[in-house]
Amino acid sequence: MTGWPTVHVSHFQAMLLFALIVSAAFGVLGRRRLQDRLKYAAWSFLLFLLVAVAIGWAMYPASR
Amino acid sequence: MSETESQPTAASGEAIATPAPDTSGSEIRALAIGVAGWIVPGLGHVLQKMWGRGILIFVTVGALVLLGAGMRGNVFTSGGDDAFDKLGYAADLGTGSFYFLARSLEKRGPDVSHAAGDYGTRFLATAGVLNLLAALHAFEAARGRKA
Repeated sequence: MTGWPTVHVSHFQAMLLFALIVSAAFGVLGRRRLQDRLKYAAWSFLLFLLVAVAIGWAMYPASR
Repeated sequence: MSETESQPTAASGEAIATPAPDTSGSEIRALAIGVAGWIVPGLGHVLQKMWGRGILIFVTVGALVLLGAGMRGNVFTSGGDDAFDKLGYAADLGTGSFYFLARSLEKRGPDVSHAAGDYGTRFLATAGVLNLLAALHAFEAARGRKA
């Protein structure tokens, strides 16, 4: 038996998946009303992306 | 906490004894709900009829575990050599029964020689910590705290 299929994702795709799933959980645990949950999850997702991209660019000089 | 509490009456100012509510039963129930939420992600909320939260926690923790195992992340065991292995094991155990699911899915073992494997390790640890957060949330909700 070969086991669970291997998931191939790029760095950015892995980060997107992570941000999406964790933001959804934050939204549902952190807020009660559906509209508030959606807003909180969207805001959390956006911040995940912004911070990741900002840290990525901040590390860019060290990669050269 | 004392069994009885004294409260002065408005008319006479005398203290009368009123029985304090017995909270030990509800505390045990809350603890059982928290443990249930840890063992099966989302069950703590489902037991309190918070269907949406329960299902979404089950799906998110499950998705993180499945993706983490698919990326061939490291599922830590109790025989870790250093503190990071032990911390990783504690985080992975946070997924409750899903820890054994992750172990059973990774037939070929972890592969952290690639970035995906390293991401997978983080996905698995995040699943555990997220589930612990959800179980704590269910426990607090069962205790009557605003959740």
